[in-house]
Amino acid sequence: MAQSRAETLRYVTGATINTLDLTMFGSTREAFGLSMNVYDRLFRFGRKKVADYWVFDPDTITGELAKAYSISPDNKVITITLRPDATWHDGTPVTAEDIKWSLDRAVSAKSLAQPQFTTGSLTSVDQFKIVDPQTLTVTLEKPDRLALANLCVPYAIMINSKLAKKNATAEDPWAQEWMKTNTAASGAYIVESHKPGESTVLRRNEKWVGGPGGALPNFKRVIIQTVPEPATRANLVERGDADLAIDLAAADLPTIETSAKAKLVSMPQTNGFTHIAMNTQLAPFDNVKVRKAIAAALPYEDMFKAAIFGRGKKLYDGTWSTTPPDASFPQPIPNKTDPALAKKLLAEAGYPNGFSTTFSFNVGAAATAEPLAALVKEALGKAGIQVEIQKKPDAEFNTLASERKMPFFTDGATAWLPYTYYFFYLYFTREQRWNFASFKSTKMEELTLDARYQTDKAKYDDDCVKMIEIFGAETPLIMLWQPNHDAAMSKSVDGYTYQFYRQADFRDLKRV
Amino acid sequence: MLAGIARRVGRRLLASIPALLGVVIVTFTLMRVLPGDPATFFASGPSAGKEEIEELRRTMGLDKPIPVQLVRYLGEIARGDFGRSMTTGQPVVLDIKRRLPASLELTCTALVIALFLAIPLGIFAALRQGSLIDHAVRLLCTLGVCVPTFVSGLLLIYAFYYLLGWAPDPTARIDIFASAPPDITGFYLIDFALTGDWEGWWAAFRQLILPAFTMALFVLAPLARMTRASMLAVLGSDFIRTAHAMGLSRLRIVVAYALRNALLPVITITGIVFSTMLGANVLVEKVFSWPGVASYALDALLSSDYAPVQAFVLLMASIFVLVNVTIDVLYGIADPRVSVA
Repeated sequence: MAQSRAETLRYVTGATINTLDLTMFGSTREAFGLSMNVYDRLFRFGRKKVADYWVFDPDTITGELAKAYSISPDNKVITITLRPDATWHDGTPVTAEDIKWSLDRAVSAKSLAQPQFTTGSLTSVDQFKIVDPQTLTVTLEKPDRLALANLCVPYAIMINSKLAKKNATAEDPWAQEWMKTNTAASGAYIVESHKPGESTVLRRNEKWVGGPGGALPNFKRVIIQTVPEPATRANLVERGDADLAIDLAAADLPTIETSAKAKLVSMPQTNGFTHIAMNTQLAPFDNVKVRKAIAAALPYEDMFKAAIFGRGKKLYDGTWSTTPPDASFPQPIPNKTDPALAKKLLAEAGYPNGFSTTFSFNVGAAATAEPLAALVKEALGKAGIQVEIQKKPDAEFNTLASERKMPFFTDGATAWLPYTYYFFYLYFTREQRWNFASFKSTKMEELTLDARYQTDKAKYDDDCVKMIEIFGAETPLIMLWQPNHDAAMSKSVDGYTYQFYRQADFRDLKRV
Repeated sequence: MLAGIARRVGRRLLASIPALLGVVIVTFTLMRVLPGDPATFFASGPSAGKEEIEELRRTMGLDKPIPVQLVRYLGEIARGDFGRSMTTGQPVVLDIKRRLPASLELTCTALVIALFLAIPLGIFAALRQGSLIDHAVRLLCTLGVCVPTFVSGLLLIYAFYYLLGWAPDPTARIDIFASAPPDITGFYLIDFALTGDWEGWWAAFRQLILPAFTMALFVLAPLARMTRASMLAVLGSDFIRTAHAMGLSRLRIVVAYALRNALLPVITITGIVFSTMLGANVLVEKVFSWPGVASYALDALLSSDYAPVQAFVLLMASIFVLVNVTIDVLYGIADPRVSVA
């Protein structure tokens, strides 16, 4: 073996890396994680310490392949200078031509990148212009506040265009087929072997210049191994045979915390939320009083303890009434358990004797959703609402959610770009998969539209506060909590950072 | 006699084609009437909208009516193209080619262990009917059946890996830091033996033994019970009494006369057990991170990934046909009267 065990990071995961090109439809979260380590983007989010742990910071954006950038006074032109010493894995230099091709691919090829980029008003190849071999500009029609942030997301990979073009065909001009199993990257790690569903081995790119201060990552080799059974993953870390695991079963976490060889890093998923959604277009949930009655009937404390063992941040018990204290979101909403109020609201809504409905969740989330559903059923039963629990396989649940056929269900979500405006744009406007509650509000649409192109910080914050007010008044869905992101790792591993795409970034990790 | 066997095998294989075709059509239709739309599932990235879902449906060919899709699918499998898995991103043929040997190696080893344990146990239980041994065998069999494989598997891991540290970590077919053998047959034990890499062979064997034992425990019951019942029936028959009367040695009576006659139903059940194990060992594969076909098919099924599930069912059906034919041939060897019919 070329590298010693200490220089190797063994990461065990339950899922499969199903593609090396994460912009492919159906790519898994594990594929996102791999791509962040193998491909560079133009920019990246910084990280900050929250309590004892590192969390990504969407408010500091620094260059990865970009050495520097400037934004024109009207906020419409971003000028990007590339790192002069950056090279692709095959040794050829990174040029503005490659970058333009990569950006063109993101907005032209049918992929997951295309819809993501529209959220930053990046839609046409004409927006990307080469100035000289080291410089290019991105021009926006309107000053979209998320343009730059979109260049940090996992989909915004920068590709070795000469290599990719060599493997493109007439039907597949963007080499999408080839890139599923091959890489044309410049990132910190190089894929040494890739067996989907078994293991993927990475070796450090010794010529990587995209790191903070040009530093190379600490681990020379990374082995990503698929181990489907969560208990086995926990055992492996506990015994010190594996170095890192995320997405463990809650029941295994206390053992890790007290283990001699392993430690647990837990922090709330600052960009996520677990919720109970009500279909605001279907009776009886089209009545705001019914929604508020449900919000008053739920036993939040019990749910918080039973479902996630209190491992997270509460998004209920807010102390405000109509206007939130600040423009941040998700933040605690003033929902409290109050059965008397629930009964009163139901009577006012015209359902003094309650009604019957179904409550759905997906099998994949059963560990937390099952106890939650049982408590919902019990609490609502006391208010006269008969609830039938429906447990759906993941594919079916997704289809039903997409077709808006479930009246009442629980689900979770995480936003890649955790800005208040983006949360409301993504989850509470338009008829699309992520508008869980099928919420329709002209005022909300107007506010998100204004916030999107708003360059005045005070006005933007004001828009956001108003969005939260509408949310509080209308209660389209009930915020429950931000569950913790738990990463179990060997005691010698340090520097783990919670990333917005909820995967391990090996570049931050080191053995101490 | 050989020609007779060959003719019978040929006939049986031909006769199975309509059944296989039926399996393909039923699976194909079933997958499509199950709730859950793969296009919606796979497009549900953070920004998937209606257009992306439609686009994906088009590329997957799901926008066409089901009969049209079926005809196209039949044409594709005739050419040996089983489609691409969305869960692994690979062509299904490639996935199965890599994973089937893993499943077969595990299943065969488990079956050998099970037979080595079950037949002697069954014989002893039959010879000492009602004795302590008989009850002990019954208890062992009951336990083997009652305890689900994921429980026994996890228990074995807990004891032998976690507490004692005797077994290697239960992940995959060989230690992740060691290198796999060159791909000759796909069976690690055979490939290591062929290349003379005995250190590798030992590593692969250590990795294999716990999952194989877990599976063997589970199928011990049908095999041992069947051996016992069948032996009891044979031991009570006239020719055994005659053999005793003739003063033949006890060993000769039990092994040469009784066992040979008692084996027929055991062979039948072994065939069925083998086929079931291959498909039903998904829990063992999951618990031991064994990269086999069953866990592959389950993952695909959960995410409505049509191509791998269809190919898996067809594969299982074909294996079932082959196993049955093999059993037929074995019958002929165990009991020559069968060949005449």
